[in-house]
Amino acid sequence: MDKSDAVNVQTENVPVIDLNLTINENPVKLQVEPTARLVDILRDELQLTGTKISCGIGRCGACSVMIDGQLVNACLTMAYQADQTSITTIEGVSRDQEIDPIQKAFLEEGGFQCGYCTPGMVMAVKVLLEEVPVPTEEDIKMALSGNLCRCTGYGGIIRAVQRMAAENSEVR
Amino acid sequence: MQQMKASEKRNRKRPDGPDKVTGRLNYLTDLHFPNMLYGKIKRSAYPHARILSIYTEEAEQLPGVRAVVTFKDVPGLNAFGIVTPDQPVLCEDTVRYVGDAVAAVAADTKEIAEHACSLIAVEYDPLPVVDDPAKALDAGTPQLHPDGNLLHKAHFYKGDVDDAFYKCTEIIEETYQVPRQMHTYMETEGGVIVPEPDGTLTVYVGTQHGYKDRFQLSRILNLQEEKIRIVSSPMGGSFGGKDELNIQPYGALLALASGRPVKIHQTRQESVISGLKRHPMRITMKTGVAADGKIIAHRVDILADTGAYSTLGPAILEFAVEHSTGPYVIPNVKTEGVSVFTNNGVAGEFRGFGGNQVTFALEGQMDRLADRLDVDPLEFRRLNLRKRDEIGPIGQRIAPTDGAYQVLQSIKDHRQLKIKEENEMPDKWKVRGIGTAITMHGGGLGYGRLDPAGGRLCLKENGKIEAAFGFEEAGQGILGVIETIVTEELGCSVSDLSVVIGDTSLVPSSGSTTASRGTSMVWHALQKMNKPFRKLLIEKGEALTGVEAHRLQTGKIGLFVTADDGEEIPIITYEELAQQSTEEEMTISTNFDFPTTPDPIDSGHFLYTFGAVLAQVEVDLLTGKVKVIDLDQAIAAGPVVNYLGYKGQIEGGGVMSLGYTLLEDALMSEGEYMTQNLDAYLIPGIGDVPFTMKVEAIETLQEDDSYGPRGVGEIGSVAVAPAIAKAIQEAVGYWVRSLPVSSEEVLAEVSKRRVNPWTKAMQ
Repeated sequence: MDKSDAVNVQTENVPVIDLNLTINENPVKLQVEPTARLVDILRDELQLTGTKISCGIGRCGACSVMIDGQLVNACLTMAYQADQTSITTIEGVSRDQEIDPIQKAFLEEGGFQCGYCTPGMVMAVKVLLEEVPVPTEEDIKMALSGNLCRCTGYGGIIRAVQRMAAENSEVR
Repeated sequence: MQQMKASEKRNRKRPDGPDKVTGRLNYLTDLHFPNMLYGKIKRSAYPHARILSIYTEEAEQLPGVRAVVTFKDVPGLNAFGIVTPDQPVLCEDTVRYVGDAVAAVAADTKEIAEHACSLIAVEYDPLPVVDDPAKALDAGTPQLHPDGNLLHKAHFYKGDVDDAFYKCTEIIEETYQVPRQMHTYMETEGGVIVPEPDGTLTVYVGTQHGYKDRFQLSRILNLQEEKIRIVSSPMGGSFGGKDELNIQPYGALLALASGRPVKIHQTRQESVISGLKRHPMRITMKTGVAADGKIIAHRVDILADTGAYSTLGPAILEFAVEHSTGPYVIPNVKTEGVSVFTNNGVAGEFRGFGGNQVTFALEGQMDRLADRLDVDPLEFRRLNLRKRDEIGPIGQRIAPTDGAYQVLQSIKDHRQLKIKEENEMPDKWKVRGIGTAITMHGGGLGYGRLDPAGGRLCLKENGKIEAAFGFEEAGQGILGVIETIVTEELGCSVSDLSVVIGDTSLVPSSGSTTASRGTSMVWHALQKMNKPFRKLLIEKGEALTGVEAHRLQTGKIGLFVTADDGEEIPIITYEELAQQSTEEEMTISTNFDFPTTPDPIDSGHFLYTFGAVLAQVEVDLLTGKVKVIDLDQAIAAGPVVNYLGYKGQIEGGGVMSLGYTLLEDALMSEGEYMTQNLDAYLIPGIGDVPFTMKVEAIETLQEDDSYGPRGVGEIGSVAVAPAIAKAIQEAVGYWVRSLPVSSEEVLAEVSKRRVNPWTKAMQ
């Protein structure tokens, strides 16, 4: 988008705040409206479009990101709340072209179809496995209850997480 | 096709997978262009009203607003609709549903566009709302269209039902009501429309038939089709919901008016209000059996609520009529269907296409009759089941198939195992039940409908074999299907191949990506192109290398010959072939039609798939809540192309229908949506589904069957509701008539019947 144009219009009447945060280990400085949604900042300002937008009310989890290690809906997070935080988006999960084992499991177990819920789902699984490396069925259901998928019926997603659980239990 | 066991193919990774799991894939709603504006559509304030005036001046004067369009700005036909264009692009004098568009705005930001929409003043004269399809045809009901509120009638008559009912020993008559399900694709409608410097228009918006969008937009914009390029893939889900035009006309009008790229991405709420839904239907069935247990009479009345505009309402009704006898042979049938216009949103294409609705009713009849006769429900079905060479459901010849029997037998065996499983009840206030249902489902659009297909293979200058099809990837896995079939047929490797879809400037017309036809059509196209394309490459190889053509074969990386000891000796790579060839690119293309019945019976299908479902439920006797703990399916659809994709379609379709059965209804009251987002419209979450689902793929076809793999995009969604309904009845004795299942009704029935949970759990 034509940023200079857009920002000019916005800044005429609306106050802005200085936002300092870390996204995928890179420091980011931005001037935005204090109530701008994090999901719009990521998608429109920073063009980090791996984070998706679907319901906009925190119900579907398509916009899930990690803020200071916690799973958060970016559509419910306002700019001022994200100030001075460290955010990981799906773009930060696989670096240097090396995909995360979770992503590999999704790939090989059919954990996605249209792929639109997938970034959020991967974020949720990542947070789950960091907290509980070998999750039970109940753990999986609880951890992914905020992430909706319309394509897979969750079968492939469950298999992917279970595979991760099996691998993690072997490692132990 | 090389025969390969399903299990061997299961680990094939989808080509679109790496970009999807890493978030790198750019969906069309993720695109950004320099100078891009944001578009918003102002929709009707009423479900039914006359428009008295539209004032846009204030919106136009708002700083940052670059274009405002109304009906006055539509250069061509101010209407759309895949078959009958009766839906206004921008309403001029009347609005007929809450999603009707009256104006659209392009501005520098979403916020400005939204604000501008609120500044557009529309004066309405509200009209009485037609919200009850049963009253739509009554005298005195306001007429929504010039020809009244009757959209379509369809029927099928066979034998003499009235006479046959006299000969019946048992008759069941029941009225079933099915809800307005929302597709709920995770990516709502949207994309970017770009006016190009040469006066052409590029439309980056998902759809299930790029060429059809091009045709419709050409008609609206009064712009030649050749000047419109549709980039229609990938999509974050569609399920039939994005086949019809949605935001494309508004984006196009705004892009042309502003001269700048315009992005529209509907919010979920905008999507709920404007988007298509599954047809709600009221289906009355009266079914009678003779003393020998055979069904001899079947009377069906279908009332479908298409809402404000036609879209594919008539075709869906015809599909419902065709499938209202399912896989059963019934000598006397009278089926009559009516679809009507109301002010209840717009219903249209949705996975299953009318089949899911009638299958719920039909299989409900089968279970009720079996219960009345006190026979096993699957045994009762078997007694009435179609045989291999039986004529099709509306009297048309179909490809011979044993699918009905195969899936029935498979699910019967599976049920035996399930019943034997030790069932320890978690607590005394829960009871379980198992239900089964079967179905058959036609693929392709049916007799008498334009149903073209095609494809193209080309050795490009860079040495890649390009496989081009006019299909779209909505998540169903068509890219993986193309990759699998082409590499197997040509013997080349994935790295030799480049697959191109979803862009009218690059691909041939292959018809729509609908009706479970994609997989089937790719396979058919390769049967036609495989030999000539290999011949082309081999002849060129012979000319360049001097190796005799009859010794050359296409393989990985290039052409090879097989030595006497079986060793494969590379002769020339595809890259060398392309570079050393002085002629133009080597291309083979094909055009053909989806196989159809030889009998001139309108809408009749020829290739059918079959499905059988086993559902086990756990009913909470204190709350009436139903939880599905098993949802297993047997599917007969010919050879599996990609097991992971196949299983995913069946599981996903199954869970989508679990939602249809237990959770989902886009409730309306007086033409207004009561549920406007995913907080109130509930689709299944991970806690609502069985943790493992079994999919049995029956791959065998008749020996003389030359039609290859059938698509499985729909079949896994068709017979789920009746299986769950029967499982509930097994558990607590309650016969479900309306979907989604009401916990209150289950509870009331449990109380009424004084079901003793201890006894049930002990059994």
